[in-house]
Amino acid sequence: MALNALFSQLLIGLINGSFYALLSLGLAVIFGMLNIINFAHGAFYMIGAFAAYFLMASAGIGYWGALILAPVMVGLAGMATERLLLRRLAKMDHLYGLLMTFGLALVLQGVFQVAFGSSGLPYPIPEALTGGVNLGFMFLPLYRGWVVVFSLVACIATWYLIERTRLGAYLRAATENPSLVRAFGINVPLMITVTYGFGVALAALAGVLSAPINSVRPLMGADLIIVVFAVVVIGGMGSILGSVITGFAVGVVEGLTKYFYPEASSTVIFVLMVLILLVKPTGLTGRGIEATQSAVAPEPASAQGRERVALMVFGVVVIGLALLPLTSVYPYFIMQILCFALVAGAFNLLIGHGGLLSFGHAMFFGSAGYITAHAVKVWGLPPELGILAGVAACAGLAALAGAISIRRQGIYFAMITLAISQMLYFVYLRAPFTNGEDGIQSIPKDRMFGVLDLADTTVLYYVVLAGFILGTLAIYRTINSPFGQVLKSIRENEPRAISLGYRTTLYKYVAFILSGTLAGFAGSLKVFVVQNASLTDVHWSMSGEIVLITLLGGLGTLLGPLAGAFVIISSQHHLAEFGQWVTVLQGAIFIACVVAFRRGIVGELAKVLKISL
Amino acid sequence: MSEYLVETENLCKEFKGFAAVSNVTLKVRTGSIHALIGPNGAGKTTCFNLLTKFLKPTAGTIRYRGQDITDLPPTDVARRGMVRSFQISAVFPGMTALENVKLALQRARGGSFDFWRSRSALRAYDTRARELLDDVGLGDFAGTMAAEMPYGRKRALEIATTLALDPDMLLLDEPMAGMAHEEIDRISALIRRIGKNRTILMVEHNLNVVADLSDEITVLARGEILAQGSYRDIADHPGVREAYLGV
Repeated sequence: MALNALFSQLLIGLINGSFYALLSLGLAVIFGMLNIINFAHGAFYMIGAFAAYFLMASAGIGYWGALILAPVMVGLAGMATERLLLRRLAKMDHLYGLLMTFGLALVLQGVFQVAFGSSGLPYPIPEALTGGVNLGFMFLPLYRGWVVVFSLVACIATWYLIERTRLGAYLRAATENPSLVRAFGINVPLMITVTYGFGVALAALAGVLSAPINSVRPLMGADLIIVVFAVVVIGGMGSILGSVITGFAVGVVEGLTKYFYPEASSTVIFVLMVLILLVKPTGLTGRGIEATQSAVAPEPASAQGRERVALMVFGVVVIGLALLPLTSVYPYFIMQILCFALVAGAFNLLIGHGGLLSFGHAMFFGSAGYITAHAVKVWGLPPELGILAGVAACAGLAALAGAISIRRQGIYFAMITLAISQMLYFVYLRAPFTNGEDGIQSIPKDRMFGVLDLADTTVLYYVVLAGFILGTLAIYRTINSPFGQVLKSIRENEPRAISLGYRTTLYKYVAFILSGTLAGFAGSLKVFVVQNASLTDVHWSMSGEIVLITLLGGLGTLLGPLAGAFVIISSQHHLAEFGQWVTVLQGAIFIACVVAFRRGIVGELAKVLKISL
Repeated sequence: MSEYLVETENLCKEFKGFAAVSNVTLKVRTGSIHALIGPNGAGKTTCFNLLTKFLKPTAGTIRYRGQDITDLPPTDVARRGMVRSFQISAVFPGMTALENVKLALQRARGGSFDFWRSRSALRAYDTRARELLDDVGLGDFAGTMAAEMPYGRKRALEIATTLALDPDMLLLDEPMAGMAHEEIDRISALIRRIGKNRTILMVEHNLNVVADLSDEITVLARGEILAQGSYRDIADHPGVREAYLGV
């Protein structure tokens, strides 16, 4: 009986492994040719499943037809996406590709949520594959066996196509040296389009295979893609075979964990990733310092050496904010904006000045919230000590997460921080002190420092404003310090900074800790504003929101985060009744920012006014 | 101090089976200006990358001041006083010339993790930085963004930045590449001057410059040492003529 359960968990592991393998294979194929990490991969997987559903519902085409048609349809859609959107990023840093495809994922998932809600649609197992066989040691449902075998075949076919055929040879050559292959008379741009289409078609194929097992849901690919990122970090994207083997292996490990220690089943892959990074910081197929450096640099401002202008404008804004309680503006709304502006400012310190894209800053924002809420509610600490506890915890968390992730560059750093943050999400989901889905509610509002009564809205407002000012000045000082100069030099030319004798990794590490600590400070403050600490604040979508606020406001600007937070939080407030359309809108803003508006609001303004903001 | 500042022994570097550098045994005499020349693809830049540890050698050893530095990370090599330049100009484009030089001074003098202090703390380095800029003829460019400087000036800035670390050993990767005549003369004079109390290893294509400046020349071809000696020795070497002229 126990053995039976073990084998069925192993089978589930193999099935999940099939999806991981197909998805990471598609990511690897796309990455090889386009140098883009396709964040929309999970969305295309979902669309594959929906395509199968539509084919059945509206055209009466069953599973077998869908297995061919759905990937073709999604592949064509992918090719259109590449032509219309991704092509514009060809000459830019890889991180912009990640950001744009993240926006695309939000749009696609949002649209399907608007149309179908969040619950699942049923999809039947094809008749030929219903039932199962008794293997003696276990009962094997035929369809599940089919998924594993078919995925394996699809993976091997892809490997054969790329490694053993003439077309594949062109592809590999074009990956190495596109301009040379172009000179041979091969249409490389077309090849890129087809490759992207092929990669997402693989995702769609996984979607069709998954439709009869998991129900067809708009968000079915959203969490999956983060797991696949962890798989990719473990196995590397260098080799086709590597990603396939890692995919299956990781699935099996997950299955075994479900049997032996089910509590850890949702985190085991992330733990595995962390362990591997600790043993081998560059990953299993890592490259050394020769790897090209990758960093999203803010578009250079036209005027330099006038940072004080930014500080003066900041002063004017602060005076305006200080006078706000005299008006009829709803203070809670502004307080929320201030908290988000501060967390985005902390993130901006890292990306705008350190060139590091963290896709996991929600881990600091949310963790600080939980710790502070727990400290004041359960331990009965006064607010200031509660905040201190949250901030200190985040400093420690940043020291740990940074030690794991900081030696990897560019997109890898983004994927690792995202995965670590997702791991914490699952930890908090299960940890008793967080109350799971309910969160920690009704936080007591005691007197801060014994005198400031936080229950008084006006007092709370000034406390939050003071926190925001303090945090922003800390960021400003860091940027304009001797340390900030080194950080800037690393962003501009890391090899040169190394050749001057700077231990660049250490500087980035310190920047990461500072950024995480400040992000935690914002999270601690927010607890007193919204009166709860919940899973929302540690979810990956929060990390995405922090990135969006910063990008929209203007990378590397002092005032950008405030401007970005104002726009994003207002739009959420005013458009709340439109439900998931807000997600679609945010995704669209993401795409627009990456394609045409990389300086952001404040950056554009600074350019027009020829000053530095 | 030993006679040679840098010595390599049977240094090799393979890329996927292709031997970019093989069995290079190079000795750079303390206080000399040593040129590394050879046709394109001879492995000169790879040698530079190996010496400064930007690449890990497949085999062989590197000694600096008699100590084995084969397994040191690039930062530590720089900290021991062996500092390199790059083929493509290595400046920090979004900083002024003065800031570029000060960044190097800041490293040499410590205090670079101070995120709580104002940048104005770095003003202490202004005087020395201006001296260094004047030295390379960039006095008038102190406030100019490095990105906006002409190519030759960027190379000069790079040298000034390197000199700010007061290194015992400089590795210059094609310092004259892409320069106009008068610039070449100026940089040549500069290299001769800074070479008076330092050791310099440089890769250079301009043979007039090499003849003019160097005490010792090593010729690389297909990753191996073809000849070594003074300019006269090299010029008469039949293998060198063949490698360069194909005759």
